[in-house]
Parts: sequence; C-alpha cells; structure tokens
Amino acid sequence: MNEQRRQILQMLAEGKITADEAERLIDALEREQPESPSGATPRLKPRPKYLRVVVSSEDNFGGDGPGRVNVRVPLQLLRAGVRLTSLIPAQALTQVNAELSKSGVPIDLTQLKPQHIEELIEQLDDVTIDVDQPDAKVQVFCE
Amino acid sequence: MIPQLVTVRRRRRDGRWSRLFVPVLPVLLVLSPLLLLAVLVALVACLVFRVSAVGALRGTGQLLCALPGTRFEIEHGRTAVSVSVR
Repeated sequence: MNEQRRQILQMLAEGKITADEAERLIDALEREQPESPSGATPRLKPRPKYLRVVVSSEDNFGGDGPGRVNVRVPLQLLRAGVRLTSLIPAQALTQVNAELSKSGVPIDLTQLKPQHIEELIEQLDDVTIDVDQPDAKVQVFCE
Repeated sequence: MIPQLVTVRRRRRDGRWSRLFVPVLPVLLVLSPLLLLAVLVALVACLVFRVSAVGALRGTGQLLCALPGTRFEIEHGRTAVSVSVR
C-alpha cells in the first residue's frame, strides 16, 4: 500500500472525511498512478543511440566479389545536423524551393521547421526498414 | 566531448589490413593556426550571408561533440575501408 492511500484511509478512520470522499480520493489517486497488471513497475525500453544502415549486395562488380556497407551514425549527430538547418537563410530556402519546383519536386522547405524534423528523429527509435531483393538487402534500424 | 581518436582501416587486395590512428586533439593543435583562419573566414561568411555566427558556432560544436560513435565500413570484394570515430 502506498503512502498516499494509507493517509486517505487514516483520515477516514479518524473521521476527517466520509467514505464517499475517501473513495473519490482513492479513485483519483489510481487515475494519477495507474498500476501495471503484474503490480511491478514496467521496465523501460532503453533508448536507441545509433542509426544503423546496412547494405549487402551479392553483385560481383568487376569480379571482386560481393559488397557490403555498414554505417552507424549516432542519433545525437542527426539532431545536431537538424539544428544546423535552422541557420539556412530564408532567401536560400526560397531559391532551393524554386529549383525543386523546376525539377518537378514541389516541396516547400520553408514549411519544414527544425522542431518537426526533431520530432521525426525522436520517432526514429521504432523505425525498422528491411528491403530484400534476390541480389541485395538493405536494413535501416536504430540500436 | 569532442572526438579523441579517428581510426581509418584499409584492407588491400592481398587481404592485409593497414591502420591509421589519428589523435584528434594533437592534430587540432598542430593545425590551430589554419583553424583560426578558417573560423575567421566562416565568421565573415556568416556576416555576409546574414547567418547567426553564434548559432553557427554552437551548431558546429554540437555536431563535433556528437561525432564519437560514428562508424563507416565499406567492403567490396577483398578490399575494405573502415572509418571509426571515438
């Protein structure tokens, strides 16, 4: 029994509050601190620190054999890079937008705020991308 | 914490590995006159392009501090290159 519940029952026993009030208080307490079904505190999943990109190719380029690329980038580095993008001047973004439109990619980069990209990186934790082809395999995941 | 050691490893066609260890801080100290010049040029560029110089410095510092743990490995047949930042 936790301390707050004990205090409520103590006040009920002393007649300071009615049974209805005690019930309401205990309900409010349970809403505030939902217990896990097993009664134990839930184990927190460790936050991933790295973004891994693994590319394996069975192609025999120039008779050298298969190729493999393994990249591990700290998520902190992605965050730092995203913060740097906020320094790009507005006129440069306008020029980039115009060039993108000319190339058939109508994306307005001025609408892409750093906090949006940061949120995107925060949610990267659960992302796992697997692309399997007979001669190549691409995996993107966080670890 | 800025990176302390960059390790570049290369596997040749004969399967032999060659390693190059680059201690970052001593190299930065040796290159400090050039770095100072580069920082000055960057500050002038920030003023010309109306970019916050403080923000740029802070951003670059954060980028540098986030580098440890980065690893690139590229294998192609019997040759391979690996760059690791610690």
